[in-house]
Formats: sequence, C-alpha cells, structure tokens
Amino acid sequence: MPATSIPKNPLAKVLSRRLSKLAPYLWILPALTVYGIFKLYPLVSGLQMSLLRWDGIEEPRYIGLRNFEKILSDEMTLTVLMNNVHYAVGTVVGKIVLSLILAILLHQALKGRTFYRTSLFMPVVMSFVVVGVLWSWLFNPQFGLINSFLRGLGLDFLVQDWLGDAAVALNSLILVDIWKWYGFHMVIFLAGLQSIPDELYEAARIDGASVWQQFLHVTLPMLQPVMIVNVTISLMGAFNVFDIPFIMTAGGPANATNVMALHIYIRGFKFYRFGYSAALSYVLLVIVTLVAAIQLKLMTSGDNSD
Amino acid sequence: MSAAQFTGQDFKQRGIHWRPMLVTLFNHSILILFTVIIVYPVVWMILASFKTPGELVSNIWGLPASPAYQNYADAWKQAKLGRALLNSGIVSIGAVLVVVCLGSIAGYAFAKFSFRFSTLILLIFVFTMQAPVPIIPFYVLFVRLKLTDSYLGLILAIASGTIPLSIFIFQAFFRSIPSELREAAKIDGCSEFAAFLRVIMPISGPAVATVGILTFVGAWNEYFMPLLLIRSDELRPLTLTIQVFFLQFGRAEWNVIFATLSIASIPMIVVYVILQRWFIRGLTSGSIKG
Repeated sequence: MPATSIPKNPLAKVLSRRLSKLAPYLWILPALTVYGIFKLYPLVSGLQMSLLRWDGIEEPRYIGLRNFEKILSDEMTLTVLMNNVHYAVGTVVGKIVLSLILAILLHQALKGRTFYRTSLFMPVVMSFVVVGVLWSWLFNPQFGLINSFLRGLGLDFLVQDWLGDAAVALNSLILVDIWKWYGFHMVIFLAGLQSIPDELYEAARIDGASVWQQFLHVTLPMLQPVMIVNVTISLMGAFNVFDIPFIMTAGGPANATNVMALHIYIRGFKFYRFGYSAALSYVLLVIVTLVAAIQLKLMTSGDNSD
Repeated sequence: MSAAQFTGQDFKQRGIHWRPMLVTLFNHSILILFTVIIVYPVVWMILASFKTPGELVSNIWGLPASPAYQNYADAWKQAKLGRALLNSGIVSIGAVLVVVCLGSIAGYAFAKFSFRFSTLILLIFVFTMQAPVPIIPFYVLFVRLKLTDSYLGLILAIASGTIPLSIFIFQAFFRSIPSELREAAKIDGCSEFAAFLRVIMPISGPAVATVGILTFVGAWNEYFMPLLLIRSDELRPLTLTIQVFFLQFGRAEWNVIFATLSIASIPMIVVYVILQRWFIRGLTSGSIKG
C-alpha cells in the first residue's frame, strides 16, 4: 500500500518549500548577527543611556532630557563643534584641491605613473599612531624638520610652535591629515579621469574649447560621481576624527584641537559621565547625518543644469 | 640677420616640440615635489631610527655617522614589541577570517537568491555603516558580554565595522560569475552550500584578496578599539603599545621611538610596495566600483 507515502509527500513538499524560502536568511544570519549585536544594538541601546545620570559604577538615575539641555547650554559644545567645522573645511578643501590637481597631472604624465601612484598612496597603509608620533617630532619647535627647513630657507618668520600655539595647532593637525590622505583621493580621481571617453575632449576641441574650458565643461561634470565619493569620505572623516588630536595634542592647548569624538571620549572615560557622553554621541550622530544629507543634496542638485 | 630675429624664428619653428616638453617637465616637477613631501618624512624616520640622541638634535638632515643598531634592541626590549606584533597579528588575521567568512556567505545570498527584505537589509547596511557608534553603549555591551580585554572581543569589534563593505564587494563579484557554474554543480548533486564552497569560492580569489587586504590593513592600524577595550599590557596590539611607549619615554628617547615606529611600519610598507596594485585596489574598493 502506498498509503504511507501519499500523505507524507505533500507535507515534505510544503516543508522543503518553506525551508528553501528560509534558506537565504540562514546564509545572511551569521553576518547579520555580528553586525546586529556589535553595531546596531549599541546604536539603539545608547538612547536609553543618554537619559541617565550614570558614572558606570553607582546605580544609574533617570533624568530625562537633562543631559541634552546641558549639552546645549555648555559653551564647550560650540567650541568643540566649531573645531570640527574648521577641521572639515581645511581637510576637505585641502585634500580635494591637491588630489585633483595631482590626478590631472598624473593622468597626463604617462611615464612613472606606477611609481608616483605607489609613493603618493603609501601613507594610507601607515597607522595614524605612527603618523601622529612621527609628525609630533617633525613639528618640534627646536629640532623638528619643519622649522629647521624654514630656517634653512631663511623663512624665519614662518617658524612656529606648531602644536603648542593655540592659534596654529588645529591647522597643523589638518596638514597631517591632508598629508596622510591626498594620495588616496588622487587615486580615486585618477580612476574617474580614466573613465572619461577621449571623444568628449575631441568634440570639445573641435568646438574650439580651450584647455580651461575643457576642464570646466568636460572634466569637472564627468568627475561628479568620484567628486561626491571623495567629498563624502573626507567630510565624514573630519567629523569623526579622533586619532590625530588624541595622539598629537590630546585636544590642547586650551581645547584648541578638541573635537567631538575626543570630547565624547574624555567625558566618558576621564570624567566617567556615561550618560552625558552617550547623549553627546547622539548629538554628533545627528550632525553627521545632517551634514551628509545636505552635502549629497547640494552635490546632486547640479544634475538639472545639463 | 639680427640675433633677435633668428631666435624668434627658431622659437616659432621649434615651438611645437618645446611646448609639450615644457608641460611634461612641469607635470613631473610638481608630481616629484608632492612625492618627496610624502616619502621624505618616512625615509627620514628610518634614518633617525639609526641616530644617537645627540645626532637627532645636532645632525637633523644628515645620515647617521655610524648606525646605532642599539636603538632597535632597546625598542624591542623596552616596548615589548615582540608581544605587540604577535597580538596585532592574531587580531588582524582573526578579523580577516571573520569578515571573509561571514561577508562571502552573506554576499553570495544577496547576489544569487531573491528573498523578501533583501533590499531592506542592504539599505540598513548602507545607512548605518558610516554612522559613528556611540562609545558608551558600545563599551558597556563589551563589559556585559565579558569581551573586554580579550582577542575575541577586539576581533569582533573590528570585524563588525567592515562586514557591510565586505558584503557589497563579495556581492558585486558573485554577480559577475555566470550562474551556469552554480547550476552545473547542483546538477552534479552538490547542495547549494557545497556548490558555493567547492565551485564558487575557489575562483573568488580576487574578491577574497580585496576584502582580506582591506580588513587586514584596517585591523593592523586600528587604534581606537584597543584603546577602548584592552586593559592588560600583554594584550596590547602594536598601535596601542607605541602610543603608551611614546607617552612614557617619548620626551627623552626619541631615537628609540623612531626605531619602534620603523619596526611597526616597515613590514607593512614593504608588503605594500610589492603588492601595490592589490593594496590600492583593496583599500579604495569602498569608493571605486569594480
């Protein structure tokens, strides 16, 4: 009698169909679990912590939005944020302009392309700790390479206390950040330049466009996708920067190089104000999201022109 | 014939040849200038690591009179660099294994299966991968899971940040592999997972290399996670070791500091120069498609 196999078959079919529908989720489950626990969960669970007065040891006390009120009324918040804005303007403009110029030059200079590309990209594989410690010495007022170089050229008026002078320190850190990354952005621009078809330039030349006009009307518009990538990466980097100021200046002198990520760390792990620090993290998160949204909006709205 | 006329004509005739040459010369001089700005400080760091403390201040630009190898012996002993290298190696390789395994399996599912919520899940990755993690809840989570001060905790902390990007890289690569390969393996009686392991992964070297390099370099250079999670001296990776050593001895023994910096960066730079094409592709893969 096939009686045993007849009722079993449809059931097995249904089961295996159900299972095959579930199968893709099993494939993504391990990655999703690790990402969910270590990235998404802290992103959400911190919201509740931002409503607490908590030093990490004693019982936390619920204080509502008091942390956020304090953040808004603390003058330090504005100081630190403006440092981030200053840092962002300096690094983004510096990296984009410099790397774009170098990419255009490299795109034309065929000989030695691999040599230049390899050399200029090199700092990307170095740790910020190595870069930061090395540059702290290069910036040394008495024996550092920079001041020694300037003195050698007779440019004594440019000699500075690069990291000790509150008026200069943040700009010095910006220089180090640009130094580490301009080769990286150049490689990305170079990939963008190589994807522009030669016919576009030929057509522009036939129309009598000068080199400068070709740059403005062919190169720049065609580079828009990589431009967005480069600006986004450097902008996000500037608002999340921690390593360079922590290692080179610890936020000093007199908070001249204190930035949001450092401020959050110091409130949390030097002063043990866990709730306040968590609240600060969300202020940073909102600012980063807004900056990214505004920047993408601005950079993609140019599409209407053509 | 006046000299001025002669030069003018000469210049006009040769102008066609001169201009491109001048442009090339200009291009190369600017490129060389900015290459020197990058390379010279690194070369200088290596030279300084062979100088005596006296030479560091009296002989800033020159070569060391006789190489002070002692700096390296001191650096190795005082900073316990052997242990630090081992720790960095364990954590970096661990992170690569986690990211490559989880990323490739998930990337394959997104590339080859269609299922509900797949777009939604990818969007969640896109929107959260750049977001700065609030460090207090992050730290508290590791304390509660008893994952502070452990290799595993550090590996997971670093790997979780790279997982979304690795999924995107693997997904793009697997999309480019013709589906016939997978079908053929399944007709031969392979299960889906066996087909993935035996047929797809062996030809996925480029994607594995890209993700592997990206993760390894990131983990090797990671500073913030160990700062947050590692307490005991024995578990400190290279980056944290250097920073602690710098704070302890920096002001006095810069020549030894330069030796530690050289030990920390020269191996990576050498491997990078040998495999530069792969490194540049891997480290820019988040930004350039393909």
